[in-house]
Amino acid sequence: MRCEDTFLIQNKCGLHARAASVLAQLAIKFDAQITLYQDDKSADGNSVLALLLLESSQGKEVKVVCDGPDAKGALHAIGELIAQKFYEQE
Amino acid sequence: MKLSSIINKDCSKAAVLFNSKKRILEYISELAHEQLPNLNQHDILSALMAREKLGSTGIGKGIALPHGRIIGLEVVTALLLVNQQGVEFDAIDNRPVDIFLALIVPDGDNEQHLKTLSSIAQQLNNKEFCKQLRNASNDEELYAIIASAD
Repeated sequence: MRCEDTFLIQNKCGLHARAASVLAQLAIKFDAQITLYQDDKSADGNSVLALLLLESSQGKEVKVVCDGPDAKGALHAIGELIAQKFYEQE
Repeated sequence: MKLSSIINKDCSKAAVLFNSKKRILEYISELAHEQLPNLNQHDILSALMAREKLGSTGIGKGIALPHGRIIGLEVVTALLLVNQQGVEFDAIDNRPVDIFLALIVPDGDNEQHLKTLSSIAQQLNNKEFCKQLRNASNDEELYAIIASAD
């Protein structure tokens, strides 16, 4: 199963090291292949270094594509994490 | 951004030998204080420790990016240490860490911080580059590798 959606980065610090680590730790829990896209760049959701390369700052839109048996759950979980601003206190 | 624009020769330490997360962070704060004498070493260490408490900066593959935000600082200072052996660092993949790219950054400039992280990630994402860092036998050799990176 493959599903995708686009999410707005809302937290002040964007996809910085801590947010990227939290996202990667979440992505690792799923069997689905999780890929994030921003502009012409893409990143494996499991890799903090790849996520940092996206340079996603507040206000950017990222497309999340999940492919695998638990793709729907993965997309929901990643979307929720981004929507909840990575649970950061600002 | 080139790595050598934020890491100078005195901040490149090859084949160091520390056996704990605490000792590594203490050493980083010592080196950072030498570069930023106006900052108190204890404040630098506190900033690094405070960040680790929020979650380990061990990002996997034997790499950690310890960093601290300091109010009033104007420029980024980065330090690269390669430890002779992996240290337990609570990394996200539970692997010990031997490459430490530490950052002392101004508080608040989020866009610039993301750019810095991206430049660092671009180099550290390259396996061959990491292998060269690990194989450097002295500080000069390590700095030459950093300086040759795009």
